[in-house]
Amino acid sequence: MATYVPLLLLFLVGAVITGALFTLSSILGPKNPTPEKMMPYECGSESTGGRFVKPSVKFYLTAILFVVFDIEVVLMYPWAIQFRTLGWGGMATMGSFVSLLVVALIYVWKKGALEWET
Amino acid sequence: MKTGLYLSISPLLVVALGGALLMLAEAFSHHREEHESRSAGPSSELALGTAITLFTGAIFAAAVWFVGPEKLDGSQDLAPWLIIDRFTLFFAFTICVGGGLASLLAGGYLPEHRIDRGEFYPLLTFSSVGAIILAAAGDVLTLFLGLEIMSLGVYALTGFRRGSARSTEASMKYFLLGSFAAALLLYGAALIYGATGHTDLAGIRAALVAGNLNYGLVLIAVTLMIVGLAFKISAVPFHMWTPDAYEGAPTPATSFMAVVVKSAAFATMLRVLLVAFGQPELSSWGAGWPPIIATLAVLTMTVANLIAGRQESVKRMLAYSSIAHAGYILVGVTTTMRLHEDGQASVMFYLLAYTVSTIGAFGALILCGSRGAEAVSYEDLSGLGKRHPAVALVFSLFLLSLAGVPPTAGFFGKLYIVKGAIGAGLYPLSVILLLNSVLGAYYYLRVLVFMYMREPAPGAPFARPMKSGYVTSALVLAAVAVVALGLFPTTSLEVAVRAALAP
Repeated sequence: MATYVPLLLLFLVGAVITGALFTLSSILGPKNPTPEKMMPYECGSESTGGRFVKPSVKFYLTAILFVVFDIEVVLMYPWAIQFRTLGWGGMATMGSFVSLLVVALIYVWKKGALEWET
Repeated sequence: MKTGLYLSISPLLVVALGGALLMLAEAFSHHREEHESRSAGPSSELALGTAITLFTGAIFAAAVWFVGPEKLDGSQDLAPWLIIDRFTLFFAFTICVGGGLASLLAGGYLPEHRIDRGEFYPLLTFSSVGAIILAAAGDVLTLFLGLEIMSLGVYALTGFRRGSARSTEASMKYFLLGSFAAALLLYGAALIYGATGHTDLAGIRAALVAGNLNYGLVLIAVTLMIVGLAFKISAVPFHMWTPDAYEGAPTPATSFMAVVVKSAAFATMLRVLLVAFGQPELSSWGAGWPPIIATLAVLTMTVANLIAGRQESVKRMLAYSSIAHAGYILVGVTTTMRLHEDGQASVMFYLLAYTVSTIGAFGALILCGSRGAEAVSYEDLSGLGKRHPAVALVFSLFLLSLAGVPPTAGFFGKLYIVKGAIGAGLYPLSVILLLNSVLGAYYYLRVLVFMYMREPAPGAPFARPMKSGYVTSALVLAAVAVVALGLFPTTSLEVAVRAALAP
């Protein structure tokens, strides 16, 4: 348990500092509200539309495809570092893994998931 | 290159490679969804391909069984992640047979109901791969991996009828509760790792035997893991998703869920309970898992049978009946605490009998419906015996097998479970099981009453019956299996006894 005391202290100090800053600024700070100031912040430009925008389902598809190839790279890094030690066995294993991904890629391609305008 | 290793996992490899090929074939097949003709969709070829893939997997499993996995050099190389023993092979066989029959059902059902999209078949095949991994998993990490591979495919299969709100709702419910259950299982696995320092089941057992552990943690972990698995087998306090998911899913997907998912979950439940928590102190009546499993069994049987009798939809009744069967099998799981081999063998035999009977019952229900008019209620089936005697006959056979009437497979399944329970001295459980079988007979026989003793209603769905060689051949295969298991039960039981896990 003693190992976690510094961590708890960190949380405590963080909470005290943030809390203090917010309270002090709301008590001491000057207030001059204008309609522009009360609007949601949107990079400085005039805000348009409501809060709930339905993103197109294409974004999810792209995100999922990204994750697949991201994971592939994550697995490839350790293999690349240990390339000489693993030898041909490692090469064959990685080859079968990549070829399975290629099958998936062909499927995705053929199904038209890579085309943005459909 | 160790040929023994590849031979021993050949059922898995065959099904996985077949799935990849089917996926490619599906992508390159022409999109003929909009065709009027029933045999023009991608189903006509893919269903056959899936069935061939899965039955080949079953044949490979049987072949490795006859060679003997222990004789193959390198078959234990994958231990403890994948354990290839006779137990795994038995379940791989059951899973492949169940999946193959379900794909045959889909070959007739999907074109008939205009949801003929080829994704169904690769999804089904990959789910079967996950189920085999689950049955073979000797480590909680591969167990979780197999569970997820299996479940993700089944979630998509459940929501396959995209236009239907019902199907989407079923899929959503199943997905949310299923992932919740998976999270509980994973939480339990994390706690058991925290307590013992092992993720492999044999190592967990060794650590438990060695003692000097935080038993509070172990207790919570065992409970969480049992709850996670109970979700998958739909034991009673955790069954809420089952009727909705089973009813909303396309019928072939329902039969796949009822059969393959349940078999794989029971396989892994047996392995977790008997390998990781199997030492005598934990598998006694006073402490450990048997009281939990027995309570689940009693609740599952009683509640499911009582609700099933009140259903007006035959598909929903079959869903509750599959919950009730999970209860009967849980009695067999409880039995393993005293009769190690016989208890397991009764569970395995029951699962095999249940697989063929349930697939058959759902298949017969499919044959009773046609495009746009699925047979749903009991009234929809009235007069079937006069209009289509053959369908009515096989439907009766499967229902009688589910009810446990001799000389069908289901009768011997129940017989062995009750025999085991009596042999283990679990008299109250056996009495409750027998009383529940009587309750169950009510709603199975009610279908027979409607089929044979009522006049056909005008506009019944089967007035324009669907004709499908796939569904018919699946029904014939299942009927032959039900009768064969009923006529030669001892052979399969001996096989199951040999498949039992070592104590």
